[in-house]
Amino acid sequence: MRSTWKQLWPPLVAVIFLLTGWQLAVSLFHVEAWILPSPTDIIREFNANATGIWVHTLATLRLTLIGFPIGTAVGLIIALLLHLLPWTRRAFYPLLILSQNVPSIALAPLLVIWFGFGLLPKIILITLVCFFPVAVATMSGLAQSDGIMLNYMKMAGAGKWQIFTKLELPSSLPSLFSGVKISATYAVMGAVVAEWIGADKGIGYYMLLQKSAYHTDRMFVAIVIIVLLSLVLFAIIALLEKWLVRWKPRRNS
Amino acid sequence: MSEETQIQHSTTETPGSSQAVPAPPALEVKGISKAYTERRRVTSVLNNVSLKVEQQEFVSIVGPSGCGKSTLFHIIGGLEQPDAGTISMNGSLVTGQRGEISYMPQQPALFPWRTIEDNVLIAGEIKGVPQDQAREEARHWLAKVGLSGFERAYPHMLSGGMQQRAAFLRALLAPQELMLLDEPFSALDALTRSEMQRWLLELWEENRRSVLFITHNIEEALLLSNRIYVFSGRPGSVLHTVDIPFPRPRREEITDSPEFLLLKRQLSQWMREEQEKSATTKG
Ligand SMILES: Nc1ncnc2c1ncn2[C@@H]1O[C@H](COP(=O)(O)OP(=O)(O)OP(=O)(O)O)[C@@H](O)[C@H]1O
Ligand SMILES: [Mg+2]
Repeated sequence: MRSTWKQLWPPLVAVIFLLTGWQLAVSLFHVEAWILPSPTDIIREFNANATGIWVHTLATLRLTLIGFPIGTAVGLIIALLLHLLPWTRRAFYPLLILSQNVPSIALAPLLVIWFGFGLLPKIILITLVCFFPVAVATMSGLAQSDGIMLNYMKMAGAGKWQIFTKLELPSSLPSLFSGVKISATYAVMGAVVAEWIGADKGIGYYMLLQKSAYHTDRMFVAIVIIVLLSLVLFAIIALLEKWLVRWKPRRNS
Repeated sequence: MSEETQIQHSTTETPGSSQAVPAPPALEVKGISKAYTERRRVTSVLNNVSLKVEQQEFVSIVGPSGCGKSTLFHIIGGLEQPDAGTISMNGSLVTGQRGEISYMPQQPALFPWRTIEDNVLIAGEIKGVPQDQAREEARHWLAKVGLSGFERAYPHMLSGGMQQRAAFLRALLAPQELMLLDEPFSALDALTRSEMQRWLLELWEENRRSVLFITHNIEEALLLSNRIYVFSGRPGSVLHTVDIPFPRPRREEITDSPEFLLLKRQLSQWMREEQEKSATTKG
């Protein structure tokens, strides 16, 4: 408990410092609220609108919680496939890299044309955003297992599948989780972008509404919610990692 | 010694003596050679190595560092193919075949995500041996090597010596009969080392597994072995084969006997000569 507090206070202080600076800057230079609202403005707006925003938050959360696991699973499956069948790696790895040069926002209208306005195009978009970090990190983790342990397993008569399940998969876990954590931060963003495509609720939809009304303070409320959702998702993954990779010696820093 | 075994073999071939058929050797290495090519430079590592481990025999290899001892283990374990020569176990040819030996690598190489208990059991798990009874046995042995209380610990929580003991147990509990031990006690301090030697001696004399043992420590080899192969510097080949005459069960006191000291002096001299030779050829 003490150690978590120790880890927590430096970023907390930094955030408070930034917020104070922001508040002071806005009031000192008399910045208009529709250009840049102050933190207190944002908090006030948040409190006034809490119930209305709650519906949108839930909708985005739901979309994220459907899309993120699917995206992660797709990333994992691609990594396993490309690892276990070397010819698929040779064939598809370059394509995989290329796919990341296509901006997902540019794909959004296409997805609407192909799949309409329902849940499917949104899930596909989140998956496109999430799968890549998981796939790449998992593949590099799978390829980096210890040579001496590999030799031991081979001499003990382990087959390819046993080497995979008993050596490569567990030793890839730390790397796999660093990929999943990156995806977790992308997932909420992906959901918001997906809601820009076309939705009748969700934070993304809320942002579009407020933008057209020049409600800058509400835009900031939406951003704060996106950040908070991302943080929570990240924290859950980090906890899961801590439990699954509990065998790893903790570095003293 | 090699003549002796040959005589035994020829007697088995005469009809009528089927009752006293001596089993074929647990391990027979014949004419193994191996060279590595790296950046077009060929390094010969092993040159025509032949040796034998009879059933329930404890055999040691001593030789200068880098002479290919670990490489020989890799070849016996089927990890690497020899350029020439054959490996047989219990009379059947197993060159390049894996899963036939129980092995303790030079570095402990315990699996960091497995508890000590699960680490010790992995060889049987790979071979598909039922684990319930093995688990029971593992606990018993962990206590015996001073690792009780660490059954559920992860390897990084253990000292180097404790890790080595766990790696040793992993080899001991493996289902394969022949054990290849690559410098099992190298990371131990002198006191623990002699304790582990005494312990291994007792253990072996109780259970009589077939063991091939690599060590740098001549005294250790003399105390434990039925036979010692002295290797030359790289490329490694068998320079001398020494049968150790001390009767079993042996006690540590034999290390003070004049015969022991004589053998030790002889072996040390051979080792020193080899070390100097390889030093001068390199320099
Ligand atoms: N995979 C490999 N590729 C190239 N060279 C190798 C390889 N494995 C071993 N060697 C070389 O073979 C030689 C013998 O190595 P080996 O590990 O068998 O020696 P060793 O007798 O076990 O030495 P030590 O007593 O120090 O453990 C070394 O010079 C090493 O560089
Ligand atoms: Mg070695």
